[in-house]
Amino acid sequence: MTDETFAGTAGEASRHDSGDRSARALLVVGVLAVMLALTALFSLTWGASDASAWGLVKDWLFGATPGQEALSARDSIIIYDIRLPRVILGILIGAALAVSGAVMQGLFRNPLADPGLIGVSAGSGLGAVSVIVLGSTVLAPFTALLGSFALPLAAFGGGLVTTVTLYNVATRQGRTSIATMLLAGIALGAMAVALTGILVYMADDRQLRDLTFWQLGSLAGATWGKIAASGPIIVLALAVTPFLAKGLNALSLGEATANHLGVPVQRLKYVAIVAVSGAIGASVAVSGGIGFVGIVVPHLLRLAIGPDNRYLLPASALLGGCLLLLADAVSRTIVAPAELPIGIVTAAVGGPFFLWILLRKRGVVDL
Amino acid sequence: MIEARQVSVSIGSKRIVSDVDLIVRPGEFAAIVGPNGSGKTTFLKAMTGELGYTGSISLNGRDIAALKPWEAAGMRAVLPQSTALSFPFTVREIVKLGITGGRTGALAGEGDRLPERALARVDLEGFAGRFYQELSGGEQQRVQLARVLCQVWAPVLDGQARYLFLDEPVSSLDIKHQLIIMNIARDFARRGGGVIAILHDLNLTAMYADRIGVMHRGRLAATGTPQDVLKDELIEKVFGCRLRVGALPAANVPFVLPQSAVA
Repeated sequence: MTDETFAGTAGEASRHDSGDRSARALLVVGVLAVMLALTALFSLTWGASDASAWGLVKDWLFGATPGQEALSARDSIIIYDIRLPRVILGILIGAALAVSGAVMQGLFRNPLADPGLIGVSAGSGLGAVSVIVLGSTVLAPFTALLGSFALPLAAFGGGLVTTVTLYNVATRQGRTSIATMLLAGIALGAMAVALTGILVYMADDRQLRDLTFWQLGSLAGATWGKIAASGPIIVLALAVTPFLAKGLNALSLGEATANHLGVPVQRLKYVAIVAVSGAIGASVAVSGGIGFVGIVVPHLLRLAIGPDNRYLLPASALLGGCLLLLADAVSRTIVAPAELPIGIVTAAVGGPFFLWILLRKRGVVDL
Repeated sequence: MIEARQVSVSIGSKRIVSDVDLIVRPGEFAAIVGPNGSGKTTFLKAMTGELGYTGSISLNGRDIAALKPWEAAGMRAVLPQSTALSFPFTVREIVKLGITGGRTGALAGEGDRLPERALARVDLEGFAGRFYQELSGGEQQRVQLARVLCQVWAPVLDGQARYLFLDEPVSSLDIKHQLIIMNIARDFARRGGGVIAILHDLNLTAMYADRIGVMHRGRLAATGTPQDVLKDELIEKVFGCRLRVGALPAANVPFVLPQSAVA
């Protein structure tokens, strides 16, 4: 199926006479880095409250001057204790989702692999909900031992089990079947959702409040504490992925050929699965399931810079962070002073986008 | 030297290759021929570490089972029968994947332009910027060969011969490109490397191979020089087809042999 998959994309993309897109890819990575910085600054100053951008800049430039506080105490709290952790978390999670999508797509050799679509997020969710609901009873020793890391680690475990199961079910003799992968992903996702449902049924009122906001996907609970718990896992997982880039490139020729090219394929797969599970688990633990970032971002970037993972992975991290910040800006102002869960925003934009991909590349999902 | 001793391969409960012995020395072009389903590709896959086997296989004296992927990649390159690509890479990007292992053996200064040089050798000059998936089957096969050539650009590295494993390298090529590709392989062997290729065209095989191994029902039915091996009885026994070696068609029927190519 793959041969025809991209004929459409390829034909429409512009010609690259030398066939070397690395210069352009580097340029795009640079532009995205600047865009992310600007988006982050915008996000710090944008919101229901009128804490101003100018005040913030003045605070940075002249903040040290005693007696001349440019930022009021109220604005300072809004910016440093509410918006800044939220911006940082948004960047981390956007990057985690987009890079995980790109890595999974490389691993499964298919552009439709996405942690949200194939049940990995649901598996992570089950792990997280288990801790929220059972943390003070059955899983008390686990939560006591790990403290604030219990939630992200449980989500990581849930994602890992799902990914490994999925990979083993969908792969026979080195070939990963997309049909099996999607269907098995649906099955695993349904099982995880069912178990999660049972746990939700058991939950008390306080836990339910935690759960509802969280199940829709939201950055609203962003605090420095959550960053401290999930941030290191996400950063670690993302830091590993550049080392996978060359191997994933070779893997697009098939497992056997990647191996002939000198790539330790088995090890690559293990590391990739653990990194993706870590990044997704930690993200799901703090923000719930935010869909479509993992499929939309790498897809857009492949159109712009090609599929070379050495550039695709960093570019995905930057664009993922950017898009999630923008989605978050929409989510917290569109129904102000109330707030829309960000998962609703990404689904509302990502769903149609996903359909558009399918329409553009009819025949891609020849199950 | 490629040395396979008593190699057997089973897939599931079915034995595909039985007790095959084969030696390919540096400087040698060895061809494996045989009917469909005789175990040629399976045997090649065992030698490239893709399939499990019993018996022993070594490359330059080292057991391949003990070689790390990157060590093996420095000693041999493999052209599979077909390659399905999962993302829209350009031709140059595909060829450059041959450099993944990093031991091309190209001279200093040659490295940067290696993909272009490899493409020129397979007669695909100017194709670097095309998308792989837009090419014809024969062109794709030559792109893959260019990638394979990049991986072992120097047939000899650090005094050790390197090897090409080619599974039907000319199966979808026109006659001109069949000759070009076979010349590249022979040249690789002349410069001190070793080549082992699965071929179907007996005329090309006779023209280029130093040695032929004939596979039949998973076993090696014969090995030797083309003169020794390509005999009426063997062809009839192995291919189940009565053919006469060296017989000319009737006087008014045209025939074109690769051997007639004017350099």
